[in-house]
Amino acid sequence: MMSANDPSTAEVPSETAADQVDEAALAQVMRVVPLGAGVLAGTAVALLVIGYLAIYLLIFLPRGAVG
Amino acid sequence: MSEQHAEAHERRILGTELLWAFGVGVLVAAVLGMIVFTALTRNINPPSNVEHIDPKTLHLSGEFAEQNLGTSVGVDGSVTVRAIATQFMFVPHCIAVPRGRPVTLRFATPDVIHGLLITGTNVNTMVVPGFVAQVYTTFTSTGDLLMPCHEYCGLGHSEMWATVQVVPDNDFKPDRDGRVACAQR
Repeated sequence: MMSANDPSTAEVPSETAADQVDEAALAQVMRVVPLGAGVLAGTAVALLVIGYLAIYLLIFLPRGAVG
Repeated sequence: MSEQHAEAHERRILGTELLWAFGVGVLVAAVLGMIVFTALTRNINPPSNVEHIDPKTLHLSGEFAEQNLGTSVGVDGSVTVRAIATQFMFVPHCIAVPRGRPVTLRFATPDVIHGLLITGTNVNTMVVPGFVAQVYTTFTSTGDLLMPCHEYCGLGHSEMWATVQVVPDNDFKPDRDGRVACAQR
């Protein structure tokens, strides 16, 4: 005996109109998020690399040969 | 449809990760290349001398007997500094070196592990009992440099330091035995 609350296959389509809107928003978010992560990680690494190069080229190398 | 979108998202994420990995790979290769390049062209290497010596008999005879310590100039003009690092002093406490000439510094210790660096230069090495630490460099400016012990060697470690006196080449005059002592001031 089926009650009114039991779902039937006719009432659960794979996509509804609401899903269509969510897909577009999701695509927009997925476009932006990796970019933001890339900028953050890239900035952090760039600062470290610049600091390393500055100390290496301006302080270490001028101090001369060692071995 | 959403499965295709999910796949496209996965591909984009993979592409971003591969791009990042490539960028980091380039950075690592560049740093390694710089290190190899300066080692080959500018003679900058980590001190890696491996030479054994008996720490128990340093003071008795041989290269690090007390009368051999300090700066000496060989017959070919090469400058060699021999010093002992011990708890808690360097012997000799003042080391005279010439400016602008290659200097070889050799250290040994009879007791525990010490380390030393010379401020304003790239001289930086450990001194391990049983081994001779050797560093060569060229001092580029005159003046008094500090050479502290930088490896904890006991309670007196913070007071363990020596002075390196870099003198102009025309003031660097070895005596009859080829030895040079610090200028007394």
